[in-house]
Amino acid sequence: MTNLLRSAAYRLSFFYTAACAIAILALGSGVYFAAQAAFQQQQDEDLSAEMRVLKREFKEGGRNDVIDAMTRRQASPNNRFLYALFDGDRRVAGSLTARRQPVGFSNFTFEDPEEGPDKARGLLMPLDRHDSLLVAIDTESLEALDRTILFLFTGAFSLVLLLGLIGATLLGRHLKRRLDRISETAGAIAAGDLSRRIVHSDRDDEFDRVDNALNAMLDRIVILLENLQQVSGDVAHDLRTPLARLRARIEAALAGPADPVRLREALESAMQQSDDLLGLFNAILRITEIEAGASRSAFQSLNLGELIGIACEMHAPSVEDSGRSLTWHAPADIRIFGDKELIMQAVSNLLDNAVHHTPENTRIEVGLVSADDRVSVSVCDNGPGVPDADLTRVVRRFVRLDRARVTDGHGLGLNLVAAIMQMHGGKLVLSDNGPGLSAELQFPLHRLS
Amino acid sequence: MMRILVVEDDSATSDLLRDALVARSHRVTIAKNGSEAIQLADDAMFDIGILDCMLPDIGGIDVLREIRRRDVGFPVIMLTALGAINDRVAGLEAGADDYLVKPFAIEELQARLSALYRRPPLESKPTHFLIGDIEIDMLSRQVRVGSKRVHLQPREFDLLAVLAENAGRTVTRSMFLEQVWTIRYDPRTNIVDSHISRLRTKLKSAGSSEPIETIQGVGYRLRHRD
Repeated sequence: MTNLLRSAAYRLSFFYTAACAIAILALGSGVYFAAQAAFQQQQDEDLSAEMRVLKREFKEGGRNDVIDAMTRRQASPNNRFLYALFDGDRRVAGSLTARRQPVGFSNFTFEDPEEGPDKARGLLMPLDRHDSLLVAIDTESLEALDRTILFLFTGAFSLVLLLGLIGATLLGRHLKRRLDRISETAGAIAAGDLSRRIVHSDRDDEFDRVDNALNAMLDRIVILLENLQQVSGDVAHDLRTPLARLRARIEAALAGPADPVRLREALESAMQQSDDLLGLFNAILRITEIEAGASRSAFQSLNLGELIGIACEMHAPSVEDSGRSLTWHAPADIRIFGDKELIMQAVSNLLDNAVHHTPENTRIEVGLVSADDRVSVSVCDNGPGVPDADLTRVVRRFVRLDRARVTDGHGLGLNLVAAIMQMHGGKLVLSDNGPGLSAELQFPLHRLS
Repeated sequence: MMRILVVEDDSATSDLLRDALVARSHRVTIAKNGSEAIQLADDAMFDIGILDCMLPDIGGIDVLREIRRRDVGFPVIMLTALGAINDRVAGLEAGADDYLVKPFAIEELQARLSALYRRPPLESKPTHFLIGDIEIDMLSRQVRVGSKRVHLQPREFDLLAVLAENAGRTVTRSMFLEQVWTIRYDPRTNIVDSHISRLRTKLKSAGSSEPIETIQGVGYRLRHRD
């Protein structure tokens, strides 16, 4: 029982049952005592009325008339009163075999000729100096009523208690089972099994909703953890090479002659390389930040057309200086809900890619279209494109196609764009532009404001 | 010369900052923690503060709030860690005038310090500049070289305006990106250089003696002739 009471589910059910039982008990005793009092008052009034009738007889005809009246009334089939006339303490008439009672109402026991000793309520009034009259009612019927009320309430009380206990046990067990499932899963996850999820029903009750919410949370945690693991892995792999190279250069510079010009060159090159490394860290942290959804607070209603225009205008001179051309067409009336700077950065990265991975004289075109269910920003070029087999691979972190190894960059640009799109509930779609690459930022329409 | 309060608990970083700033002939006072910073800000006179976000006792943002509550008016640059975007937002809201993400180049810090130190109050911002042979009207957004009108694209005008407001001081590439395009990411391309080169060409063909100087690896400066 202590074990059961330690469980909140059981305790709740038991206390609820106990509260019901106490309520029934209170109601039962209330009804019982109220009924008792009402019946007694009725009896007392009846006794007083009967006494008045007989007293009148005595006043009119003396003891004999009273005895006549008593006999007559006793014989009447509807009569429920018993009578005894006393001379002093001695009973002189009436069928009620009882001793003289004190004046007024009293409860006493009399001798029933058929049933033996029986309980009665009586009223004794003196008639004159010697005689006194006792009128009584057998209280057996009232007792029977009491017994019935008591029986019914005891029955009801036991039934409530029994059903309540059964219900409490079942409810407690049900609650405990469902909560156990959650704690068991949590325990398994704490023990390291991240793939575990809470098993739930299709009823969609409160528990299912909690289960679903917890499962969704677990999914998110797993994604974040995987990201973290991937980042640590990537960092370990991809930073070792440039760091080793940096170290080798410094070593070579130190080993050579102490020529200030040469040392200065080595230092400048080392600084350039550390800047690149810091840039790489920056990019990784930026992606992690975006994937963690930390900055969704900056979301606002944006004029996407205008934003694309600003981004393209910002890039146009440097694209032209690089010997490529940039044209854009962005209708100004398309709005979305998002982070202005991140969308700018996504477009910047795509343009940056288009410049860095194409030969001179490449045409870069930026477009903005809104279809039924989405808004798309496309950045297309007529360069060499990306082989179909690599289209999904290039979005991954640190993936750089062999061709790209000769240009600068750390293979995080498209990954960052993908993270930005995911944060906006959209996606980055790469496809063959025949010839060239088409990169499309697809924003879902339900995000439109 | 500026009197600079540096609030930084990491002694390696604060030593580096002190050496670099002293070498640029500034006077540097270092506070190792938040309470020391609040005390110093109260007691001594400074022209500018450099405040690290992560401090051992009171957080940098709370220090800033406390300083501002005490009506200490000097401009403050917050130093925040990589990836801590919330700190940047909170810092600006708490009254920071600028922020820099660690690690940063000393040139970048120096440029931002000078810009903040010389920044005129908003109400007294000049609406008209005459720098060398270039005349800039900020209200009508018109530029003249001598009597000749120079037709600039809106962004080219913005770049020139930033240069003019900071005439004589270096403006870094990231300062241009922030003030002209309001972006704080690194677009990894020579966007600023390309725009500046167009601006230069237009000024030159209008007959200007071309007063925009390139500060190698840092940014640009408009030559100041008083």
